[in-house]
Amino acid sequence: MRIHNILGAAVLAAVAGAVFAQAGVTPATPAGAPAWKQGMAAELSQSPLHPFAPHLTGRPSKDLPVSKLRVPDGFKIEVWVDNVPEARSLALGDNGTVFVSNRNLSNVYAIVDNGGKREVKTIMKGMKSPNGVAFDKGTLYVAERHRITRYDGIESKLDNPGEGKVVIDNLDPNSQPGHFWKYLALGPDGKLYFNIGSPQNITMPNYNEASIVRVDPKTGTLENFAQGVRNSVGMAFHPKTKQLWFTEHGRDWMGTDLPNDELNVVKTKGQHFGFPYCHQGDVLDPIFGQHRSCDQFTKPELKLGAHIAPLGMKFYTGKMFPKEYQNSMIIAQHGSWNRDPKHGYNLIRVSVDAKGKVTSHPFVDGFLENAAGDPPMWGRPVDVLQMKDGSILFSDDYNGIIYRVSYAKKAS
Amino acid sequence: MILSRFARPVGARQRSRTAAVQTAAVFVLACLSPTSHAGLEEGRVKAQVCAACHGADGNSVIPGTPSLAGQPRQFIVTALFMFREGRRKNDQMTPFVEKLSNADLNDLAAYFSSQKMAPPAHKTTPERIAEGKAITRAQNCVACHTATLTGQQHIPRIASQRHEYLLSQLRQFRATTRADFDGTMTSATQALSQADIEVLADYLASLAAP
Ligand code: HEC
Ligand code: HEC
Repeated sequence: MRIHNILGAAVLAAVAGAVFAQAGVTPATPAGAPAWKQGMAAELSQSPLHPFAPHLTGRPSKDLPVSKLRVPDGFKIEVWVDNVPEARSLALGDNGTVFVSNRNLSNVYAIVDNGGKREVKTIMKGMKSPNGVAFDKGTLYVAERHRITRYDGIESKLDNPGEGKVVIDNLDPNSQPGHFWKYLALGPDGKLYFNIGSPQNITMPNYNEASIVRVDPKTGTLENFAQGVRNSVGMAFHPKTKQLWFTEHGRDWMGTDLPNDELNVVKTKGQHFGFPYCHQGDVLDPIFGQHRSCDQFTKPELKLGAHIAPLGMKFYTGKMFPKEYQNSMIIAQHGSWNRDPKHGYNLIRVSVDAKGKVTSHPFVDGFLENAAGDPPMWGRPVDVLQMKDGSILFSDDYNGIIYRVSYAKKAS
Repeated sequence: MILSRFARPVGARQRSRTAAVQTAAVFVLACLSPTSHAGLEEGRVKAQVCAACHGADGNSVIPGTPSLAGQPRQFIVTALFMFREGRRKNDQMTPFVEKLSNADLNDLAAYFSSQKMAPPAHKTTPERIAEGKAITRAQNCVACHTATLTGQQHIPRIASQRHEYLLSQLRQFRATTRADFDGTMTSATQALSQADIEVLADYLASLAAP
């Protein structure tokens, strides 16, 4: 599996080299630069920055400073369940089963609440980065790197889900390194929306890459929905406007404050959001942006912060939280590695007012312990799920823990 | 194969023996308050079966077998996890992890990471050292493995590792045949020549801990 990835990298690096040669510019790192530092600016060539990795067995919450987590007044945060190694995306079944995905590991878990005692079942094993999960009318959809499969009537056969039926296949024809794990969101039209990210850090994507696409599970027909999206690992439909909002990760190795990661909205199918030419709506890429203007592309609704790594998001529509939370977005931010000092590792709430003004508010903090530390954090939020009672759950892949946030008006 | 006498899974007998000693160790552990020591004593007991190959204190004296002493804890867990899940394979090593629980992995890691690494058994010339050092800077090995190359978090200590082991792992990463948790290491070796790999193994194996 890896083998193909890397061969792909070599081919890709060669292609990238050809692109650079044509444009007559010297890339900061030579063609054939290892994928992990592809596109590194010359002045960063001795940078000590490196990616973090989750604890693969998970870590028990009793060993962690969970009491340091902070939420707004009146809210409460608690551990909902631990021992869910590398918990990534979340989906809720009609009967209350919480489905949890993996990215580096290869499982899908189902968490069943037996009257307050939660049981974690591993329902699928040996999958290829099964990062995307979505639930609709009794069916669980799972997006791996290369395909999407469906498990009908899943909640009645958690102990023996059987083989899934393929919805769409051949989504990773080149098996190359890059952003090809997927996030799945169910559209109001019953279609499945997901990302096909960009290869490597900053290279020219092909016609199918760096996009958000959708597939109709009834027919298997694939359509391009948004272009110029480096990688989106979080998307959700606005409950009123039905428009798709999504988070997007900007490129690496352009420095501590550039470019910002983005929150975007698709207003018209086929809109182009700038990658690889223009970042954060107003910064041209040093190489790919040379013959472009940022005005050619759709700008973000909000700049979230450089390398802050926004992931899963949901619109809040529950009855439990205060009024101002209605229809605002809760966004999980995995936190930066490609900058110093570090930031993120939190959840934010983003509201949109009647005039369309978009504002960010703190929601959950406390995972970031020391912005200059290595590692700087003890946990990393990934995805958000609204429960039937209006509380929310969010996952932390670094520790394999799911937390619950609830609200109770204070007795005054 | 010479090592076939080791090639049996950790059987039920082995495990019940460790369980008995573990109960005793729980008391000892209760006196060791900081969580960083958690599992160390259990690990010491569970590590007895590893000693024949990796050395009782985690300093291997067998050429192709890696030392574990002073490896970052998270790296040891990651490596054991990869073997257990069959994503990294080795005829000698795999049988010893197949039946281990997550708690076993963490205890073993707590033990080996707390052991002191022995001074390097390998020697090389000052020229080679200068050359090796230059490559580890130019290729950013130091970004991930740290300036002293003693590793951090999920990234292993490569300083003072066994020479033959370093050579074989670097060659395998470059050939894309060594399992790699997140792909970065395979990627990092793509820019190395075979000559670079020889210099690096020579330099790293001779490098003492600071
Ligand atoms: C029969 C000999 C043998 C025994 C016993 C053995 N190992 Fe190993 N181990 C090896 C060899 C050989 C390798 C290198 C495998 C390779 O080349 O990929 C290895 C690799 C490892 C690694 C990866 C190290 C690295 O730097 O990547 C870890 C961790 C490890 N062993 C831990 C253990 C533990 C813990 C035990 C006891 C439960 C154990 N081993 C028992 C032979 C053994
Ligand atoms: C982007 C981070 C990164 C960079 C850069 C990097 N490494 Fe690594 N290295 C890793 C990680 C992570 C592993 C563990 C891989 C695994 O076992 O899944 C590793 C493993 C290794 C191993 C195997 C050690 C063992 O005990 O099994 C060697 C040897 C090694 N690296 C040498 C190097 C050298 C030499 C360089 C520079 C040319 C380098 N690394 C650059 C992250 C990096």
